Amino acid sequence: MLIELSGIGKTYEVGTQTVPALRDITMAVEPNEYLAIMGPSGSGKSTLMNIVGCLDTPTDGSYRLKGREIAELDDDELALIRSEEIGFVFQTFNLLPRMTAFQNVELPLIYSRAERHTRTDRVWGAIDAVGLRDRATHRPSELSGGQRQRVAIARALINRPSIILADEPTGNLDSATGEEIMEVFGSLHSSGNTVILVTHEEYIAEHARRIVRLRDGMIESDSPN
Amino acid sequence: MEFRETILSSFRTLVSHKMRSALTMLGIIIGAGSLVAVMSLVAGLNRSVAAQFQSIGTDIISVSRYPWVQTGGGEDYRKRKKITAEDAEAVEALPSIGLTAPNVHTSRNLSFDGEVLRMITISGTTPEYETIDNFAVEDGRFVTDIDVERRRQVAVLGAGPATELYGARDPIGKNVSIGGRRFRVVGVLESKGSILGSSLDDLVIIPITTFEKVFGHYRSTVIDCQPAEGVPMQRAVEDIRHVMRIRRRVPRDAPDDFAINTQDELLAEYHSLTGMLYLAMIGIVGLSLLVGGIGIMNVMLVSVAERTREIGVRKAIGAKRADIRSQFLVESVILSVVGGTAGIGGGIGLAFLVRLGTPLPAAVTAVSISIALGFSLVTGIVFGVYPALRAGRLNPIEALRYE
Repeated sequence: MLIELSGIGKTYEVGTQTVPALRDITMAVEPNEYLAIMGPSGSGKSTLMNIVGCLDTPTDGSYRLKGREIAELDDDELALIRSEEIGFVFQTFNLLPRMTAFQNVELPLIYSRAERHTRTDRVWGAIDAVGLRDRATHRPSELSGGQRQRVAIARALINRPSIILADEPTGNLDSATGEEIMEVFGSLHSSGNTVILVTHEEYIAEHARRIVRLRDGMIESDSPN
Repeated sequence: MEFRETILSSFRTLVSHKMRSALTMLGIIIGAGSLVAVMSLVAGLNRSVAAQFQSIGTDIISVSRYPWVQTGGGEDYRKRKKITAEDAEAVEALPSIGLTAPNVHTSRNLSFDGEVLRMITISGTTPEYETIDNFAVEDGRFVTDIDVERRRQVAVLGAGPATELYGARDPIGKNVSIGGRRFRVVGVLESKGSILGSSLDDLVIIPITTFEKVFGHYRSTVIDCQPAEGVPMQRAVEDIRHVMRIRRRVPRDAPDDFAINTQDELLAEYHSLTGMLYLAMIGIVGLSLLVGGIGIMNVMLVSVAERTREIGVRKAIGAKRADIRSQFLVESVILSVVGGTAGIGGGIGLAFLVRLGTPLPAAVTAVSISIALGFSLVTGIVFGVYPALRAGRLNPIEALRYE
């Protein structure tokens, strides 16, 4: 089992009030699954994504990633997990503007202290996987939205993560480009990756093989698609 | 993150904001540059003064009414009792004192063959003066004991009058008119250069007895002497002080009514005066570096705030707190070290220009460069730590949400 969530809860202190963003989330994810976490705004899907992505720790419950308990890890250990196991793809791409596409894709390797002489080949490998070899030396400002998202996907792939987490990956793209990107995710899934989409759009979630619906911080339904 | 990567990345960031980086460095550049320029100036001055002082005579003790360095105490040195020839003899008799040369001075016109030099210093003294006061005869001879005994009207010219009155002609054997009397030139002195701007060559030396014959006995005598062989300067000075105080009946608790001048004292006085000036200048320069450091801290804080999103992204893809911290600290240090280096370059250039264009000697020392570099480095570290800590502490989720 890749991901095991048992009774996950997350509460925030907002002033004197306690806001429960997530309650009693229990679910499991096997390797090479393709699932979508769906819900309206306020349903807790972003909070769940942050926890699964090890950007945040739950206040209740247990999260085991590849058998390892995440809830008790400190900041540096979380950073390491993020580096090795998680590949993020954001709605706003979040590429570093002063670096080329190549350098953006390379960055996670630098943080994971990969050996210098293997880096270049691996970066080209990832860039080729998303079909951007001829744009590799361009800055993000010189790329289209679709190309930027491809760079972001290549960056997410570079450390060969266990999970690819995509938060509204097509939110800033037109429908045609959005479809292209969804095809990329599809092929990533076919190549053996585990892909988790987080979205509020029905037609995006439709691409996945399993849909987990959230409402008010709890799982409403969890079924194959 | 590898050190090399951190440095490359930081450089990239700074270069992409050239204007901002340059303005930030301004404070450090000025601070480091001034430090080098000031220290170079002082070092050069010190060296120059020490070298010039060598030309007076290194172990000379000069007893006179006036101290060489007059610290405007308000005392009228002219009111002091004059020092007499007998005082000179008493000093000479001291076992701790070696060569002694009493001397008296005045200013008079000098003329030869219609050529007139106004107000040259005329010194009346004895043969020992040549040794004690470090004179060298270039041509002819110095004053001798027989000249003194017989009150001969002979003169030894300094390099200045020799050239100005006689030009290329050999002055030896020729006449010179001093104070209306005719003297015969018997010697010419080697040039001694100048000390702190004033020439040491504008003088004429005649026998002390002749001086008193021509110009009168009423002046105070200056006693120039040296410690006897093997006697430490300190003891010689104390012995002189002791005998002078007795002879002049100075009360036990009153200060000396005469001055015992030594080169050590002169240098010490010089150093205490310039020492304070030096510290003041260093302090001002230090302030400049402080201002530069605050400038760096400010810009780094702004940079951290501007790059909040970027920091969130970096953390999301695996950067640890330490990675973020070192990134920003390195940026800060690069700013300060590059600025420091530029400033040092400027300081060296300035010192060079000063040496070329003004009489002030500026000598750039390795010490000044090291200190300036060190200060720049420390400034970058000290003022970069706080912004770096803040950057590291950012919560990635909030940072990612930042617009």
